[in-house]
This record gives sequence, C-alpha cells and structure tokens, in this order.
Amino acid sequence: MLNRAHLSRLTGLMEEQGWDLLLLYGHAWRKDFFRYLLNVNFSGPWAMAALARSGKVCVTVSDPWDAELFQGTDVRQAVLPADGLQADSGVAIAGLELMEARFVEALRTAPASASSQVEELRRVKDPDEIACIRRACDLADRGYEYFAQVIDPGMAEYELVAEVEGFLKSNGAEDNFMLIASGGTEVTGMKPPTERRFQVGDQVTTELTPQVGGYYAQICRTLVLGEPSPEQRRAFEIFFEAQKAGEDFLKPGVDIADVARVQNDVFRKYGYGEYTGPKYTRVRGHNLGLHPDENPYVLEDVHYTVKEGMVIIAHPNTYLPLSGYMVFGDTLLVTANGCEPMNKAERKLFQR
Amino acid sequence: MKRGLIAWDKTELPPKAFEKRLATARRRLAEQDLPALVVYSDLAQSNLARFYSNFMPYFNRAFLVVPREDKPFLLCGLSPRVYPWIKSVTILEEILHSPNLAQKLLEICVNRGWKRVGMIEPDRLPYDLHSALQGKLEIGKVPHEGDEWELAMHRRAAQMARDGVAAELSTGIGVLDYEFVGRLERRLRRAGAEDLVILLSNGSAAPAAATGQTLQPGYSVCVDLEYRGHWERIVCHHGAEASENQ
Repeated sequence: MLNRAHLSRLTGLMEEQGWDLLLLYGHAWRKDFFRYLLNVNFSGPWAMAALARSGKVCVTVSDPWDAELFQGTDVRQAVLPADGLQADSGVAIAGLELMEARFVEALRTAPASASSQVEELRRVKDPDEIACIRRACDLADRGYEYFAQVIDPGMAEYELVAEVEGFLKSNGAEDNFMLIASGGTEVTGMKPPTERRFQVGDQVTTELTPQVGGYYAQICRTLVLGEPSPEQRRAFEIFFEAQKAGEDFLKPGVDIADVARVQNDVFRKYGYGEYTGPKYTRVRGHNLGLHPDENPYVLEDVHYTVKEGMVIIAHPNTYLPLSGYMVFGDTLLVTANGCEPMNKAERKLFQR
Repeated sequence: MKRGLIAWDKTELPPKAFEKRLATARRRLAEQDLPALVVYSDLAQSNLARFYSNFMPYFNRAFLVVPREDKPFLLCGLSPRVYPWIKSVTILEEILHSPNLAQKLLEICVNRGWKRVGMIEPDRLPYDLHSALQGKLEIGKVPHEGDEWELAMHRRAAQMARDGVAAELSTGIGVLDYEFVGRLERRLRRAGAEDLVILLSNGSAAPAAATGQTLQPGYSVCVDLEYRGHWERIVCHHGAEASENQ
C-alpha cells in the first residue's frame, strides 16, 4: 500500500524544493497522484495523502468505507488540514490544479503546485510498475481478442462495450478507458458507444485501456466486418508503417516531438500530411502510468527528452479519406537502446 | 468511467423538462441580476451540466453557459470532431472549442459585457480554473432545484441496479469477486448503465473494490449505478432484500 520507494523519491524532491509538507490529491477520475504514494483504489469522491519531509504519512478520505482500507497499516488518518503535519509555509500539492477550490482555501496557506515535478518522477517506471503494466498489456491483448470474437452485425456498439467491460472486469481490471466508432468514411473520430448497430462492411475502431494494480496499458486496433476494401487495406499499410517508424525511432535521448514527426512523415510521404493535424487527430501517442492519458503527449510541438523506463503508447490514429477514422497502436517500454512493444496482439487489420 | 450508453431518449426526458429547468435557473439569475449561469463539468463533476443540457463528458472538461436571455451554449475542450455527436444527445446547438476554458469564458464575458455570472457550486471548481477566474470575474452563488423528472430518472437508475443485482446475487457464492463484478458490469451496461462502481465484502470489512477473493455465503454487494446522469446506490446482502440508500 505505502510505496516506500516512491516515498523516498518524494521526500528527496521535497528536500530539493524546500517543501515541508506535500499533499497528494486524487478524485474519482484522477487518483494518480494519491496512488503514487498510497496505491489504494479508494471509492469515495476524493482522498488526500499528506507527506512530511520526515517521511511521516497521514491520509484523509471522503468516505468512511475508504478509511477501513488503511486499518492495520502504519498510515495514520487525519482531518484536513492534516493534524500533526501542519506547516505554515512550504506546502505543495501534487494535483493542485484538480483540487476543488474549497479544499485549497481550507489550508490557510498559499500552496505551491507539485504536479509537474511529481509527474516527472512518475514518468520513469520501476520494475514493480513495469510488472503491473505488463499485466495490463496482457489483459488489453486478451480484451481485444475477446472484442474481435464477440462483435457481430446487428449488435449495438454499447452492447459490445458491455461485453468487453464484463470480460476485462472478470479478469481483474480495476477500470478501463474505452472509446469506439463504427461505420465508413463518414466516421471522423471515436467516442463513447451509441445505439448504432453494426453492419456488414463497417470499420470498427477501438482503444482499450485496462487498469491493473493502478496502472493503465493501451491497445488500439481496427476491425472490418466482412472483407476489407482495397482502400481500407491501403490505409492500414500506412498506419502500420507510421507506427513502425515511431517504434524504430523511439529510444532514450530523442525528443518526443520527433517521434510524432517520423510517424507524420509517413503520412506526408503518401500525400496525407493534412490529416496529421488537430482537425483530424488529437495526439500521436502519450505517456502511460497511473493515469490513462499522461504527459508528455506525442506531438510535433511538444518537446521532451525520452528516458529509459518510460512507458508510452504510440498511436498514429487519424482520419484518412481512404478509410475514415482508423486506429493502430501499442504500448511501448523505452529500453536502453530502443523500445519494446509490450502488447502481443496481432498487428493486422482485423476482420470478422 | 463513462463508457456505457450516453443517450437522450426524448420520451423519457422531454425537451420541455429542460425548458422548465432553464426557466427556473433564469428566474434565480434574475433575482440576483446575474446575466448568465455557468456550470462546470468534468468526469468527476458531470451531473449538473447533465441536468441543464443533457451534456455528459466522457473525457476532458467543459463549461455550460446559460445566458439569462439567450440559448445555452457549451465551452468544450473536446475536439470539434465529436460535436455532431454531442449535439445529437443534448439540447445544445452551439459548441465553442475551448482548449483554455477559463480564458474562453473570460473572453465571452468581456464581449457580452458580463462582469458577474452565477455558479451553483463555485467553491467546487478545480483550483486552476478558480484561480484563473479570481479577480477577473465576480461569481454569484445560484441555488439548484431538482424536479420530478430528475426523481423519475433516479428511480429508473435504482430499479436497474436492483434488477441487475437480484438476477446475479445468487450466482456469486464461490465465485471470485472479479468474476462477479464482470457479470454485473456486463448485465448492467447492456441494460443501459452509463457508469458503475461495484464494491464487495465478505463481512469482515466494509465493501471495497474487488481484490481476488472468493465470495462466501452472506456476502454483500454495493452497486453505484449511473443511468443517464443520475447516480443511485443499492446495497444488498446475500440472503436479504436490496436496500436503497440515496
């Protein structure tokens, strides 16, 4: 529960920054800062951990059931502001930007934001974190295999999502972030499932992002119900080449902007450069960890030097007039000399 | 996380329900001489924007703006590529792409001459937005009033949860909690649940997220179910009737 390695990194950061007290805040959607120190899947609306520079930890939760999660541990419970850990100055909050204003005002001091510094600590994963992400990748692979097995013409998008959610939860996922789209060249992006029923000839895109042990992994794949058209096959070849270009380039020391650039260059080479911009796509990938959509984003205007031990999803997902919106991407572990794809699912345009 | 069916059934929640809700909000604005109501929405605080517009974010965040004398509109961080979908499931006709929500809101206030706006829960704004607006825009607190349509939706949510638990409860004994949660997720999302939080206990501790334990006779399940923006909690003990805790 209390991650002592992370505690050590955080108290080191506090020493460096001159912070006496560090609060790690989480709410129902963003539990990541809290779980970096206390990896507990709380169920209430919010929870907060208070860490003193001495290493002493207190926790404040919003639901009495969550309080029981800490019984029998050496984590003390407190009422905000954390009694016994008050500091008149040098208070910093990881997750300050997400925190409800009323909580910040209750602190009676002007806190600094620790979000970007703690995010930087979180970027390089330790072996335990990588083990969680491997399990999440394995579940993402099996989840997509299940997706491709159960989809059928006549089934509604939300029914398929229900099946996949059921499968992922049955196999140990704490949560899952999932988007979907179906149809033809009129489809320009993914969204939550609708009542639309699948038809023969549909192209069905999805990203699955199961969470295991607090950590998310992602897979993006595209499936055609029936025989893919020559245009869909051609589009997939371009996505495959772009993904491979990103993977071949990714290694410690490179600028993440260039990972986006080498992916986008493939689209440019074939005359589809305009489809790599914000009108047609969001990002070419992003960091993964305790949140499913972490910084840095893989974009040509985001500059960040990649480090060994980072886990990134590269996905050159975008709209192409050949196929409509198509997705393809895998979770990648940055290794000493390059990167290792953590997903093992087949790299193909799926068909059913 | 919102990955169930986000829809708007106009026979279940007719446009006139939203018209009345907006009219009530506008009366409250008039009482305080406020020109507009601003409602914040993200994945952790989505239900008020749903109440007034049926907008439900699945990602990112937004401000619903309800001018006192004009149609409501949305300031939204999501891509314009999904605006046709948003329009299909909400009362909204205008959506403004707003990667910087606070800046966009301030621009609109300047353009429309609004020095004060109303908010229902201003102290619950995320701190980054709160601090970006502080000193630049005066906020008046506006009361929120529920209605019969809202209660009816809550009843549907509760009934859906109750039916789902009743159908699966007897199948849980001897099953891993993960498996049981998966069964409930499959059944309830197929029935139309938008979001779910399922907690379990074998009796030695409060209900908590599944951890891989085998369910024993007398186990308890707590289902928080969101149906079209309306959360309900059902707690049920194996061997007893479902109880409702609103």
